[in-house]
Amino acid sequence: MTISLPQATAASPLRRRKTKRHWLANAPGHVALTLLSIICMFPVYWMLVTSLRPANETFETTLWPTSASLDNYIYALNAIPIWQMLLNTLVVSSVVTVIQLVVGLLAAYGFVRWQFRFSKLVYALVALTWLVPLQVVMIPNYLLVVRLGLLDSVVALILPHFASAFCIMLLAQSMRAFPREVLEAARMDGARSLRVLWDVVTPNLRGIIASLAILIFISTWNEYFWPLLLSRTPSNSLIQIGIQMFMTTEGTQWGPLMAASTMASLPILVFYVVLQRQVIQSFMKSGIR
Amino acid sequence: MATAEIAVPARQTRRRIASGRFNVTPWLYLFPALATFVVWIYEPLARAFFLSFFEWNMLPTAPLRYVGVHNYTNLFQLPKLWQSLRNSAVYILGLLPIAVLLPLAIAIITHDLPARWRNLYRAMIFVPMIIAPVVAAAVWRWLLDPGHGILNLGLQGLGSKPVGFLTDPNIAIWTIIFITGWKLVGFSTLILSAANANINPSLIEAARMDGASRWEIVRDVRLPLLSATLLFLVMLTILLGAQWTFSYINILTQGGPMGSTNNIYYILWDFGFSSLSVGWSAAAAVLLFVLFGILAAALLWLMDRYSFYDN
Repeated sequence: MTISLPQATAASPLRRRKTKRHWLANAPGHVALTLLSIICMFPVYWMLVTSLRPANETFETTLWPTSASLDNYIYALNAIPIWQMLLNTLVVSSVVTVIQLVVGLLAAYGFVRWQFRFSKLVYALVALTWLVPLQVVMIPNYLLVVRLGLLDSVVALILPHFASAFCIMLLAQSMRAFPREVLEAARMDGARSLRVLWDVVTPNLRGIIASLAILIFISTWNEYFWPLLLSRTPSNSLIQIGIQMFMTTEGTQWGPLMAASTMASLPILVFYVVLQRQVIQSFMKSGIR
Repeated sequence: MATAEIAVPARQTRRRIASGRFNVTPWLYLFPALATFVVWIYEPLARAFFLSFFEWNMLPTAPLRYVGVHNYTNLFQLPKLWQSLRNSAVYILGLLPIAVLLPLAIAIITHDLPARWRNLYRAMIFVPMIIAPVVAAAVWRWLLDPGHGILNLGLQGLGSKPVGFLTDPNIAIWTIIFITGWKLVGFSTLILSAANANINPSLIEAARMDGASRWEIVRDVRLPLLSATLLFLVMLTILLGAQWTFSYINILTQGGPMGSTNNIYYILWDFGFSSLSVGWSAAAAVLLFVLFGILAAALLWLMDRYSFYDN
């Protein structure tokens, strides 16, 4: 994506002067980005620091905790079933990621491999689902979940996420770029279509599938609206709803709130630190076409 | 390549039409996805439309009472609706500078930074994007707390009175906009930086040879080449911006103080699940869907018109 500038080509004495000038010319860029980085990072840092302060030092304003303690974590873990909530969130996010990818692969393959009547219309209907805000369909969806008897269950949080237009469209786009000859050759060999999809197409789409998996997992992990609508009891809730339980109208328990927030973010943050480049690339792919 | 791609399916189509056989296979592949969309999006959309003509409080035992367009006429007389529509516009207009203009400026001034530095900054400014909205809301609530929040303590240190970032009706909406923008700014900057880095350097060189100034290069070469990406980000902000604010409104202000942070998405929730007036919520949903559709169509048309700029 990024093109590095041909800086290293200049001869050495000249180069030194040039680099210095470059650095000066770049100063506004450094200032802007340093400021932006601080604005972006400080809240996350402050969350961590607050969560690690002893209970009686919550309101301290030193930039780092003078004495670290896990008080807030212990309190939070005793107040609500955080481990259960994290487990629920992990299950929902993993299951949704796998199902959405499988359903997406099947649908994309259906669109790309065959030309059939109404295929354009159906594709448009898939694309248009993107334009229906969740809030518009929330009441009928809520009623449907009630009728199915699935209110306050983890299953209800998975069902509506079986398919996403975004996933199908991105996979279909990548499959269209796939060399037709390979598909045809596999078919000549008498391979059934499902085999071709599984053995030939899917392995070649590993990159985009990995990107989509990262995106779907993170966005499901962070999802708020759907659990808000459907969860009732703490042990059936996701972690995002758990965090909210520390913010009541009577007052907020800042320490435990920051501890719960840290626990909710840590899996994603660790994942990000390890696979930073891939995570950023995945999000960017959704933006650049 | 292109001819091969088109020729094969065309032959198939002819053969199929000649034999008059309906090919069920693609539909089998599409079934799980289509079933999901029908059950969770299209049928509910139709049902929301249907419910918008009835009065109902969502209790299974309570009867649905047909009221015609009464929900709509009532809705239009409601000051809360107009306030929320106005606020939705404020949200979108307020987000545009943070989600589009600021990132554009940053992308342009930083495009000659060495790659090593750029990667470091990139890693940091992207963090808000992966933070959950609930966590973002919690942390900002803590930072902005009037009594103990570090921001207000800092302001007090400078001699100012504590600011009710979330409790002052004139400020609360801007606070929500700021938090929503905080989540987006890094992402937009990266998208624009990538698009900016993709501009063919020889075009810039050619303009420089012709004696164009730095600003002229930005205005006449970079901006037109970035227009497709810019429009994409504008579209994203307009269509999804007000929607993204939902979590922050629900967690931080519940639409208050005095309705000053309500927007159209939030009143749908409010009507439906706080006052249990399904008909009103459904009518507002239909209204939102129509508005949303018109906006989206207009923006897609614009994008189509402006995407002809190419490297």
